[in-house]
Amino acid sequence: MKPKLNLHFFLALGVAVVAGYALYAAMDWPFRTALFPKMIGVPLLLLALVEMGWSAFGAEKQREGHAVDFELTTDIDPAVARQRTLAIIGWVFGFFVLILLVSFPVGVPLFVLLYLKLAGKESWGLALVLTVLSWLLMKGLFDRLLHIPFPQGWIQSLFIQ
Amino acid sequence: MAEAFVAGFLAVLQWKTFSFMLIGIAVGFWVGLLPGIGGLTTLALMLPFIYDMSPVEAFAFLLGMHSVTATTGDITSILFGVPGEGSAAATILDGHAMAKKGEAGRALGAALMSSLIGAIIGAFALAISIPIMRPLVLTFGAPELFMLAVMGISFIASLSGQGGRAMIRGFLGGLLGLLVALAGLDPQAAIERFTFGQLYLWDGVAIVPVIIGLFAMPEIIDLSVRGTSIAGELPKGDLSSGVLQGIKDTFRHFWLTVRCSLAGTFIGIMPGLGGSVAQWIAYGHAAQSAQDAEERSGFGKGDVRGVLGPGAANNSKEGGSLIPTVAFGIPGSAAMAILLGAFLIQGLRPGLDMLDKNLTLTFSMVWTMVVANIITVAISLLFLNQLAKLTTVRGTLLIPFILFLAFIGAFTEHNHIGDLITLLVFGAVGYLMVRCSWPRAPLVLGFVLGEIAETNFYISTTRYGITWLYDPMVLVLMLLTVTFIVYPHLRFYLKQAESESVA
Repeated sequence: MKPKLNLHFFLALGVAVVAGYALYAAMDWPFRTALFPKMIGVPLLLLALVEMGWSAFGAEKQREGHAVDFELTTDIDPAVARQRTLAIIGWVFGFFVLILLVSFPVGVPLFVLLYLKLAGKESWGLALVLTVLSWLLMKGLFDRLLHIPFPQGWIQSLFIQ
Repeated sequence: MAEAFVAGFLAVLQWKTFSFMLIGIAVGFWVGLLPGIGGLTTLALMLPFIYDMSPVEAFAFLLGMHSVTATTGDITSILFGVPGEGSAAATILDGHAMAKKGEAGRALGAALMSSLIGAIIGAFALAISIPIMRPLVLTFGAPELFMLAVMGISFIASLSGQGGRAMIRGFLGGLLGLLVALAGLDPQAAIERFTFGQLYLWDGVAIVPVIIGLFAMPEIIDLSVRGTSIAGELPKGDLSSGVLQGIKDTFRHFWLTVRCSLAGTFIGIMPGLGGSVAQWIAYGHAAQSAQDAEERSGFGKGDVRGVLGPGAANNSKEGGSLIPTVAFGIPGSAAMAILLGAFLIQGLRPGLDMLDKNLTLTFSMVWTMVVANIITVAISLLFLNQLAKLTTVRGTLLIPFILFLAFIGAFTEHNHIGDLITLLVFGAVGYLMVRCSWPRAPLVLGFVLGEIAETNFYISTTRYGITWLYDPMVLVLMLLTVTFIVYPHLRFYLKQAESESVA
């Protein structure tokens, strides 16, 4: 029987690797420090291997194995869904990079404006109003009122030593 | 005692005390709504303001604020899928799913009414239990607390889906959560574990980015993929009828709400277990109340019982956690540890004094929790229609703001870029788990209970060797754990066999 190497298999493989690493790392620790990680790591590794085998060779019954949890939308064309998923992941990482480069006070309104104009295709008026709103929220609430210490962005630190 | 009970109520109604409570409620309302501004941090920030207050005023202010954060935290969870408070994450599963079905009003009505019932039960549990709680709390040592943690994880893991494979995935999640919780300095020997040489990880993996990542990121991706509003293309109607339906649901499942409130109170009493645990256990119990497999499969997809259970437990645990704080000076949670600081600032000693000399003050705490929650629910109900309408705003307008709240919420945990990396890593983990039908609840519970479980396991083995395994209370908890694991599946297979024989 040919094994099915799908996402289920690779998720279980990932967990098995994490469990294997935990057990390997625990070998160098004193008994007391290593006891609990080993106690967790062994069943985690075994169950991950079972799940891997199940994913590769087992046939999943209707609803069998489904979690009591939120399920992703299935009524969108898979190609469109894949493209939109990659796009939003790109935006999330883009937001993270923006924060690294220019920090929160500049990065947040800039991200809101870019997202609304490029992804949302919103009008300039609405995009600018919401951008100003996000800036006010950022500056007024989180910066001035709550004094959250935002680190400098990489770009600002080039100019301000 | 009855005299002190009435005197406590009258003390809360005095204009100055009542005003301080209203200020506390106003602060708590917004703190609860906004992700990342934790009720815990705010409680700590508010401590310096109580120096010039009388003890009744100080506790009306602090408890008024603290007891409403749990209520309003549920509102953000339901509307946006981002927990307003770390302890409001379990409400997302069914509450946000209901919002996506156009039932935001109903979910909010159910969350608020169950929160109110939970708060009242928790508060009165505090009032009546003080004389009888001491022997019970003292029965629970490290072995029992460890077993309680094991029982909690097993309970939620076994109820995470149908069939053996779902249970394996549930336990995988729980064990993974426990393993993640072990990152940081070993509390016994201060040896680095899974820190990869990063100073940021010495304190362990931060809880808020983990929860926001696991729950908010898959929702944001799905909202973007659907390309609609949170409530989809559903017709825009008057949401107040939904709110009323949610309130009716609370009374339709009244005993479930009461049971979850009592579970929350009990978990609140146990020092160190915390609010997140109470919510997840209550969620597990609500899922267990499903009559058959088909009914249970509706959980996570918008079953109102999945909102009622966590909503009630999240509020009732506050009254519960006050019990050991007031009676023995043992804080039931981190928030109560901060509140213990308020006792010291006010020159009060928890213990016998609070049950004798300062009994009026103790009862004023009970009344503060009740009155503050009634006011919050009344205010929230007035604005629910407007709040619920946010779910009909198109996704492209909401996504940048939800992402902003998710990032800022995660960042405020340690004010470190590492918080954002944690958010992204657990966002990816959460998305993969949802894609592959792995339940996220056991992972969160394992993560929350990891340190408690390890510490109590360490104390048990150091103090008792392996003899703690034969302790009667431990054996009872073991038996309960096995029952929790086996019973739902036994019932599932028996029903299946029964329906097959009928067919």
